[in-house]
Amino acid sequence: MNIAWKELKKNKSRFYILGSIVLLISLLTFIISGLANGLSQDNASLIKHLPNGEFYMTKDANQTYNLSKINHTTQEKLLNTEKDALALSIQMGFLNDVDGKQRSVSFVTATDSKFFPDVSAGEIILDSSMKEKGIQVGDKLTNNQYSGEFIVKGFVEQSKYSHAPVAFINIKDYEEIYKLAEMQLIYMPEKVISQDETNDLQSFSNKEFLNTISSYKAEQLTLNMIIWFLVVISGMLFAIFFYMMNVQKIGLFGILKAIGVKTSSLFYMMWTQMSFITVVALVISISISHLLNVFAPKGMPYYLSMETTVILSIMFLFIGFIGATLSGIQIKKVEPLQAIQRGEG
Amino acid sequence: MSILKLANIKKTFINGEVKEQILKGINLSLREGEVTALRGASGSGKSTLLTIAAGLQPATSGQILFEEQNIANMSSEQVRKIRASKFGFIFQFSHLIPFLTVEEQLMLMLEVSKSKLTKQQRKTEVNRLLNLVEMEHRRNTYPPSLSGGEKQRIAIARAIVHKPKVLFADEPTASLDSKKSKDIMKIIREITKTLNITTLLVTHDEDMLLFADQVIEMSDGQILQEER
Repeated sequence: MNIAWKELKKNKSRFYILGSIVLLISLLTFIISGLANGLSQDNASLIKHLPNGEFYMTKDANQTYNLSKINHTTQEKLLNTEKDALALSIQMGFLNDVDGKQRSVSFVTATDSKFFPDVSAGEIILDSSMKEKGIQVGDKLTNNQYSGEFIVKGFVEQSKYSHAPVAFINIKDYEEIYKLAEMQLIYMPEKVISQDETNDLQSFSNKEFLNTISSYKAEQLTLNMIIWFLVVISGMLFAIFFYMMNVQKIGLFGILKAIGVKTSSLFYMMWTQMSFITVVALVISISISHLLNVFAPKGMPYYLSMETTVILSIMFLFIGFIGATLSGIQIKKVEPLQAIQRGEG
Repeated sequence: MSILKLANIKKTFINGEVKEQILKGINLSLREGEVTALRGASGSGKSTLLTIAAGLQPATSGQILFEEQNIANMSSEQVRKIRASKFGFIFQFSHLIPFLTVEEQLMLMLEVSKSKLTKQQRKTEVNRLLNLVEMEHRRNTYPPSLSGGEKQRIAIARAIVHKPKVLFADEPTASLDSKKSKDIMKIIREITKTLNITTLLVTHDEDMLLFADQVIEMSDGQILQEER
């Protein structure tokens, strides 16, 4: 007989309350996690979409890519070592649209590669979010430091950097705007270069490179801290609620022990109830938080991946299990006699 | 023939620096199928003796021989197994499980005692017991909807559904009025006699002693007198 299930069915309101709290906390965690992911996409989708490889910038740039200037000899040497390697530069800037309105963008230029679109001089390819601002293919855009006009050649999906849409331009145009002949970064998708070949350069994995973007690091650190606090709080809530429920049920546990029910069966009863409540609460909160992936307002950077969902769900189940088990230590301690002497339970 | 034998049972409670000896070397033998009543004033040690005999708390010293085995030397798991399969309990309050129906209370006991009956046989046995305590019409009722007397009848049925060898009853009628008390005692006596269950009963109600085969009077942790 599954007494855990019988109790759940009979004392619905008590378990509804606990389930609602788990639901709310997990929903909040999923949503904040979705926002964290969304913001990270908004901040660095240009880099996040690249395969895991190595970024190189000059050592004297002190981990600030804008200050990095890789000389042509080094650049040529590295680009020749791997077919898909590329040199790139990123600079924040402005574009004036056809109505003369200034639009903030991240100008990106790169050597020929399969990872970034090919752009000829005088052309520009923009992140698709610029379409919402009324910019269309064929529009002519200007920049105060650029002598000519950029013709919008097309749009690419999910290309943002530092919360601004990316604008891919040709190297010659980039040099004209920023008066810089050297590229800032080299990206090698596969090959790891030996230390001898990169004496003046410092290497970064994709993740390490993202952390050199100061806004990215601060933003993600804050949001991740909130997420883990919520996970810890939910574990504590589990422990407190199960503790309170167990205190109310000490008489019941004592009687069950007196008639010969094993202590392990009582733990099993508690774990079954905890798992059921958590799984139901998680299914609902996952459904709602994933619906937000589709229905979140356009301007809201929200992206909740299945991988994050699964990791957080496992964490919730694990922490719920620990919380419930810690509170269940009372079950082990309870003596049948205590319960009998407490009167009618 | 003796089924449960207590030899020189002593129990001392230590409260800080104060030592209080509640049982001072009790010797007692329960004969198979008989009802033995323990009577005595409050604090005489009768309930403590019952709970020690039932393996619900350990004695400070002495032997508890059940079917020639000393329970006092057994592990808590071994004692639990004996409690589940060989003992039955009725307490002053019914202590029914609030979220199980009357029928489920009895089914749970059969499950805990690892009864070898099939599912159908268990159902038949539960029906038979509910008939015996005249509670068949309340089989699907939850405890909060039962009266005090009805709860105690169910507690009796639960205590014996798995056919225990010994039934321990600690003031089973204390929470009932005198008419209901007599009804309950009558049921306990009839059923235990029919099923040949040995009963150890604690009571302070003189009227209940009429249902016992043996009455043991206790005072200050010792047996004063045994009557048949």
